[in-house]
Amino acid sequence: MINQSSIHPADLMVCTMARLIEDGETVFQGVASQLPLVAMKLAKATHAKNATLLNIPGGVNPAGTVLSEYSSAGWELWDRSEAVFPLEKVFDLSMRGKLDAAFLSGVQFDRHGNVNASVIGDYHRPKVRLPGGAGSAVLIPTVKKAIIWRTKHDRRTFVEKVDFVTTRGNIYKIVTPICMFGYRNGMLYLEAVSPYSSIDEVIANTGFEIKTHQGKPEVMSLPTREEMRTLRQIDPKGIRYKEFG
Amino acid sequence: MSKIMKLEEGVNLIEDGMTIAIGGNVLHRSPMAFLREIVRQGKKGLRVVKTAGGHDVDLLCAGGCVSVVDAGFISYETEYGLASHYRKAVQDGLVKSNEHACYTVISALRAAKAGVSFMPVKGIINSDLVKVNDYFKVISDPFTGEDITVVRAIEPDVAIIHVQECDEKGNGIIRGPVYDDELIALSSKRIILTTEKIINRPYLTTSPKEVTIPGFLVSGVIPARKGASPCSCPTLYDIDKNVLKSFLSGTEKDKDKTLSEYLARYERADRYGGRQRF
Repeated sequence: MINQSSIHPADLMVCTMARLIEDGETVFQGVASQLPLVAMKLAKATHAKNATLLNIPGGVNPAGTVLSEYSSAGWELWDRSEAVFPLEKVFDLSMRGKLDAAFLSGVQFDRHGNVNASVIGDYHRPKVRLPGGAGSAVLIPTVKKAIIWRTKHDRRTFVEKVDFVTTRGNIYKIVTPICMFGYRNGMLYLEAVSPYSSIDEVIANTGFEIKTHQGKPEVMSLPTREEMRTLRQIDPKGIRYKEFG
Repeated sequence: MSKIMKLEEGVNLIEDGMTIAIGGNVLHRSPMAFLREIVRQGKKGLRVVKTAGGHDVDLLCAGGCVSVVDAGFISYETEYGLASHYRKAVQDGLVKSNEHACYTVISALRAAKAGVSFMPVKGIINSDLVKVNDYFKVISDPFTGEDITVVRAIEPDVAIIHVQECDEKGNGIIRGPVYDDELIALSSKRIILTTEKIINRPYLTTSPKEVTIPGFLVSGVIPARKGASPCSCPTLYDIDKNVLKSFLSGTEKDKDKTLSEYLARYERADRYGGRQRF
């Protein structure tokens, strides 16, 4: 066993996200996506050595070891890569059903798997204009595994009804610091809970009624020693903690 | 024939109300020198097109130059956070945000590039963006009979792209990621390049494959050393963190002062710094 107190929620999330990638899959990560970037590198360095990693600048399997502290769309993800395959080709790949997995996010989610990354309030006269869904509105419906991560888990994020539907459906998993949701028959269900959290804490911080599938949710597996060692090599500066402020 | 021009001359080609496409992606290789001069010259009512923008679109919104933004994502990414000027301008009703998926911007540009008025796009049919925006329509696919969303073409009046190297005819070389810049160039009515360096490019000494933007399509070439700063320019310089921080730290009250200090800081370098002797 490793010392539990040293496991940051970002480490648990990154390892959980990495394990969702299977060996040989083609996986995309977009803008403002430090956690997916590290998770993809972790997967490729551990159990998914034959995964193909794609990104916005277009570097296929970038071999550089320096990760940017402020961007997940910069030159270092193009430099020292094995081929060039930029964003518009990644989208085309997803459209014709050949992208295995993509990491995406949003600001609000509801039980039906509706995702809002656009506005709080009215679309045309918003109370808050959000950055926008970037690739989500075309990738979530077309990619085989749409993996969503969100570092905030509260009642403003997991809501009864989203203010706006940037996209809906076809969610594979949603990973948060305290749990992981799965998606079946058009509904989110609680698939696994962090060992540092509880079903009660998830219920208290979720704005819709929590459902489970086939009994009790699983407990999320802690990062292994090997994963933590690899994480420290891949991300020595800790860009995976940036989203936690 | 040399297409080299001064920054002020290049910006003179931009008329109020035009649609401009901006090269680069988020905080990388944005044509900032050109955009600052747009703000200095007080251009108004611009429609801005970009897949994923950051400081570039935020600056134009801070300068009051924008009426519409067509984009999939506008933010400084994680470290520097939200594009506060863009956000406020939209919330105050001064700027209309035409939210796209990045791919529907690409598809709208591809339509313009091919000279057709729309392009079909999969997946977006699940989005309420289709309901609330008039640039998406759901039609019946004439071959399968299934519903398909189409996006209206966007043909920018001017594409503004910052490159690392360019010859006087406008053959532009982009080092590192090209992002959507080739597409932007090929779908716009005119192209203006700002360049870190003017190169003498005799045939056979430089591979034609290195040229990203073919010069025969380019209207103007503007020497602009550090022309992407405070954004990054791959192979040459990274972002200027201090400038970005000070630009973003200004409160609403001293917004005008922050903006004028920012513009003044770069004015000399923008207008004269890039000029070389030939």
